[in-house]
Amino acid sequence: MRDRGEPRPLPVLDATGAVDHAAGAERFVANEARTTWHDASLWFVREKRDRAASTVEDWEALRDAASAIKTHTLSRLDEYLAQFEQRATARGITVHWARDAAEHNEIVLGILSARGARRLVKSKSMLTEECGLNDYLIGRGIDVVDTDLGERIVQLRNEPPSHIVMPAIHLKKEEIGETFHEHLGTPAGDDDPDALTAAARVHLRARFLAADAALTGVNFAIAETGGIVVCTNEGNADLGTALAPVHIASMGIEKLVPRAADLGVFLRLLARSATGQASTVYASHMHAARPGQALHVVLVDNGRSAQLGRADFWGSLKCIRCAACINTCPVYRRSGGYSYGSTVPGPIGSVLTPGFDLQKYASLPFASTLCGSCAAVCPVRVDLDVQLYKWRQLAVDAGYVSPVKGWLMRRLGAVLADPALLQLTVGIAGAILRVVPRPLARRLAGAWGRWRELPEMPAQSFRAWYRANRRGPD
Amino acid sequence: MPLGFAQRIVSRDDLVARFIDSAAGAAARVVHGTRAELATLVAGFSGDGLASDGVARFDREAQRVASRCLSMVPGVPGTVAVPDDPHALADLDLLVCEGVLGVAENGGIWLPASRLGERSALVLARHVVVVLARSSIVADLHAAYAAVDVSAESFGVFLAGPSKTADIEQSLVIGAHGAMGVTVVLLDE
Amino acid sequence: MRVALFAPCFVDHLVPSAAIAALRVLERLGIVVDVPDGAACCGQPVANAGFASAGAAALERFADTFASYDHVVVLSGSCAVHVRGHATGIGDAGIRVAQRTTEFCAFLHDVVGVERVRMLGATLRARVALHIGCHALRGLDLARPSELQLRPSNKVRAVLATVEGLSFAALARPDECCGFGGSFSIGEGAVSARMGRDRLADVQAGGATALVTTDLSCAIHLRGVDRAAGGALPMWHVAEVLAGMAACDALDASGGER
Repeated sequence: MRDRGEPRPLPVLDATGAVDHAAGAERFVANEARTTWHDASLWFVREKRDRAASTVEDWEALRDAASAIKTHTLSRLDEYLAQFEQRATARGITVHWARDAAEHNEIVLGILSARGARRLVKSKSMLTEECGLNDYLIGRGIDVVDTDLGERIVQLRNEPPSHIVMPAIHLKKEEIGETFHEHLGTPAGDDDPDALTAAARVHLRARFLAADAALTGVNFAIAETGGIVVCTNEGNADLGTALAPVHIASMGIEKLVPRAADLGVFLRLLARSATGQASTVYASHMHAARPGQALHVVLVDNGRSAQLGRADFWGSLKCIRCAACINTCPVYRRSGGYSYGSTVPGPIGSVLTPGFDLQKYASLPFASTLCGSCAAVCPVRVDLDVQLYKWRQLAVDAGYVSPVKGWLMRRLGAVLADPALLQLTVGIAGAILRVVPRPLARRLAGAWGRWRELPEMPAQSFRAWYRANRRGPD
Repeated sequence: MPLGFAQRIVSRDDLVARFIDSAAGAAARVVHGTRAELATLVAGFSGDGLASDGVARFDREAQRVASRCLSMVPGVPGTVAVPDDPHALADLDLLVCEGVLGVAENGGIWLPASRLGERSALVLARHVVVVLARSSIVADLHAAYAAVDVSAESFGVFLAGPSKTADIEQSLVIGAHGAMGVTVVLLDE
Repeated sequence: MRVALFAPCFVDHLVPSAAIAALRVLERLGIVVDVPDGAACCGQPVANAGFASAGAAALERFADTFASYDHVVVLSGSCAVHVRGHATGIGDAGIRVAQRTTEFCAFLHDVVGVERVRMLGATLRARVALHIGCHALRGLDLARPSELQLRPSNKVRAVLATVEGLSFAALARPDECCGFGGSFSIGEGAVSARMGRDRLADVQAGGATALVTTDLSCAIHLRGVDRAAGGALPMWHVAEVLAGMAACDALDASGGER
């Protein structure tokens, strides 16, 4: 349901329609106090994650195991998908295959239409965000209600989630209070999280009870049993699916694990990595529809098999969407989810999204210092910093950086390869710096000087000193 | 032996202590009792019993008497039966059920559909009482998956405490959509 | 044992004092050090910006220049990581150089040994914030990153702990990135500078009187951010502390010997 027609906050796009992460980030960081607050909120989650991980013996071995299981699964994904379909079908689950977002949306609408369902309650599914399902269904007369509290908040505000686990992490409670006052009739000025949550509970309970269908995401699907696992803290997936006559579960094809026992590894890692909890409140295993209900699972490719075919990037499909890399990313914390302009922001989004459209998302792999914190927190050991580096090379090779930057970088490469040329270049720069007043020099230094004082230019390089002091005069 | 992770040999008391810690971390209340005392214990959770527990701060509605109780535990009387239509449980005050297995490392309790009677009761009830034998507590999720067949029934859930959210400025709020309180009764058996 | 010291392009030209300090430290430890001509840069600045092909010539030159040494001691963690990670792609010389390239503190800790470093007898009365570059931290195992659930270790701290009078400031976020990131500092200047300010605020909150680093690229950025805000925090490379050259600001342009 789109309650308000105001425009969604959009990323900054350049003249070609490509996402300009740096521009979006600069807009975000211009609000210093808010940046401080946003950074602290996410660092708080990172610290909770650290504490939770520290309670698990052999945490690093657990990460190894998770990575190995996912690597194995992806290496024979076709077989496991076929096994899953066969086992699920045997349990009375209807399995659908969607090549892309459009097919996924048509399948979901088809299921709803066949039942005459008009009121859909959804629990968290980043896949349906990726597919643009809400807009598609709303445009065809379906009443779509996101039921995760954070997702409901951003839905009421006509905004996309800014984070994959905490969709409203960018909002202050005062803003949420205003939204709820406007849409749910809570008292003006009430921004108490307890009170606002209680109001949402009442508001959404009525929607759950009236729903014709429930849609959920899927955290894991088990090939050997044909079942799915959905994890929530709020209980919204369980409330929706336990009441509505139809349950539709949408999942990317990379969500498979071979055996139920593998979940011991992944559920130990997921909540601890995501929120620092030992477990989500509900880890629901669904292996058949309840009596009188229909259960549909939609398996969605939408670019995943293409990513699986990329030698340098298939490992991104190991991702279990815990968002630990997002929480720890020093750039995400200070640029906000919207600066990425992609369904999944942060490091993992910056290696997944270029696979959809490298031209549009070419700036994302550059939205990183390559500090590597992302790869170090990742519970399935996705080598995120390595993949960011490799996407940069591809973005450059494809010509998706500015011609000026391209020319400069190629010139710089030539200069750096030649000590004499470098000496000459530095000499010229030094001579200029010595005669030009500092404020002007800073302006001439472009983006460096805009944010920083320039370094001093020593009179003599180390090599010159070395020649004079260690080798003696030539 | 799941996956070869270090499995320290720990005593039953250690496991139970760890479970109690983990359950408390998930905002569940843990009480001790015997099977013979169950009916009395649960009766105490109605009305003032619920209001006085640590969860009641968040559980404003629980202060009224838990008149609508679905019990799946023999010997504990309920006031409503499992209905054909789950919507009939919309005003359920209390679900009493018995867990199959508890997980010491995270406070989770395995509850398959048959133990819930009606799976919607788990999330419709304001308060959930889970009876759990001390002897059923295992160390971690590896042991849990080795011990239960999660595909045996149409539905099963690891439940760790009451429903919660931190979607508003990271403030933890108990009682988002599901139960506003969970009490685990550990049976000395 | 043939040891070469490599002062990367920006150290050579912008922070020569640190390279002089490193040379003196190695010499005082009785190590015969060579500083060969030939290579000015490893190519990392352009490679990390997506132009690995434009940086290939520099990296090849690096491999050629250092192929005959047993240890190539690099005065920059991130350059060492770049060489170790990417020189392997340019033939046998590249593979050999990649294996033998290390960072200054890692060389002192792993090859020279902390006890020998202690015999330098360095003293510095300062409470320092330790800043290990992210690449060196996670790519060279210079210290255990805060994300990993492994036994704590910190080679740089162990080396610095030999310095009499030196104490360490406790940082709220010990290994938070400073925001330099090479071309990131230009392309994402706003966030880069903000990260630098945040890092410096943490250093200040920890009561540090100076910042000591393995990576002068981070320090040049941090100094630029600090000075633009009117700050005067001294910043030194570990080598300058060990060489007793940390009396004044490492990044001031004194050039030559001091």
